[in-house]
Amino acid sequence: MSALVRMRLAGFTRGGRALPPLIAFLVVLAVIYGGGASPAAAAYGYSAAALFPVLAWQTKLVLDTEPDVQRRLARVAAGARREAVAGLLTATLLALAVCVLAMGTPWLFTAIDTTKDPVGGTLLGILAHLLAVPPAVALGALASRAVTRSALVGVSVLVVSTVLVVILGLSGSFAPWLVPPVMATARDLNGDTVPPAATLLLLCVWALAWCAVALTGYGRLRRTLS
Amino acid sequence: MRSAGPIKTDDLWFRYARRGPWTLRAVNVSVRPGETVVVLGRNGAGKSTLLQLAAGVLTPVRGTVRHRPRVVGWVPERFPADQPFTTRQYLSRMAEIRGICDHTVVDAWIERLLLTEHTGTRLADLSKGTAQKVGLAQALLDPPGLLVLDEPWEGLDAVARTLIPQIVAEVTEAGGMVLVSDHRGEITNLPDATHWRVENAEVHETPAPHQIAKPEPDEVIVEVAVRRTDADRAVVHLRAAGHRVLAVRDPAAPRTPEVPR
Repeated sequence: MSALVRMRLAGFTRGGRALPPLIAFLVVLAVIYGGGASPAAAAYGYSAAALFPVLAWQTKLVLDTEPDVQRRLARVAAGARREAVAGLLTATLLALAVCVLAMGTPWLFTAIDTTKDPVGGTLLGILAHLLAVPPAVALGALASRAVTRSALVGVSVLVVSTVLVVILGLSGSFAPWLVPPVMATARDLNGDTVPPAATLLLLCVWALAWCAVALTGYGRLRRTLS
Repeated sequence: MRSAGPIKTDDLWFRYARRGPWTLRAVNVSVRPGETVVVLGRNGAGKSTLLQLAAGVLTPVRGTVRHRPRVVGWVPERFPADQPFTTRQYLSRMAEIRGICDHTVVDAWIERLLLTEHTGTRLADLSKGTAQKVGLAQALLDPPGLLVLDEPWEGLDAVARTLIPQIVAEVTEAGGMVLVSDHRGEITNLPDATHWRVENAEVHETPAPHQIAKPEPDEVIVEVAVRRTDADRAVVHLRAAGHRVLAVRDPAAPRTPEVPR
């Protein structure tokens, strides 16, 4: 499987498709940190939420880089399950690399307020980004061409879902559990105190449960489509 | 022997859209180890669909494909050349995906399929025929128990086309099975093959079409040797001069003379 992951990483980075999400990533960083230094927890909470659509889009681009026939050749060579998992793994690795950059870059420009618990805030920030990556990968996978069959449907799935993540994630939403807890995490990290362990645990379970449902759907669709 | 038993379809149904027409209906066919099957039918009849179901590329809507061998080689009708790799990089990566770390395997197929001068060429810059050879090579890196060739002659030059019957024979002699689609009448290259016809979404076994063309009573056969690289041009010139070209034969594949297009 690692050979297929390496091939897809090379295909994505060499083909120039990595450039648009990279530019979007830089814009997000500029918006978040352009206003001056912020406490680590709050800054990283917003960073994770703002990066969510970028990571989902990047995942769709990663999975759509390969021509359909090449994806089928990989399926024949590696097996259907391995081919699908390798795609998700490739997207996850790239998403984690973006998160590392997103968390490291503000330190270079002193955009993190070091007077307000930088260590605790950074740890919470790592958790926030880790909670954003799996749902973003799952959403990007559901919007990929292997599932949606067309660019229009794929982009529609991505955009509508991202908007729903924001709207249904707002405070007082009637059905927040329909979407991953991206907004909820950002809100909890923006408070004056560290969120209680029970809240963090709930966020983790919520994100994992959402991913489990989304990835189960992705797996079922990939079994029937190719 | 690379496969335990015959690959068999059990009441296979397939369509591309939920409410669309059936592309294939109630297909019950089998291929024995060592057997070659040529799938005939007009364009759009469902030949490629049948081949992709057999290879495991597509999943049937109803029914199953039983006893598919562990190693399947699939040569698509059109090789996906829009990838940022050179020929060697691509074949090496496909070998690694199949768990082959020995790069001499890649080199051997590069040499055999006359790809040596294209190893450093990007896939997107290859001619259609050369790209098709890369597609053929990737399917053969790991000796396949089932080799599925979708219009393998498409775009290949006269010399490369003579390799296909030879490769098919090697796979079947090792106990493998071969499925090959054909809509251009190249099947005379595979004289021992079983023939299926895909028609009206159904698959039926049919008698073999007539074999290699024979000379008319007032004709004689003149055997001419030409350089491999000049084979296509020689065929064109001979035809332009009013002669009938019955076959092109490569000494490397003496049993399987080819009828040129």
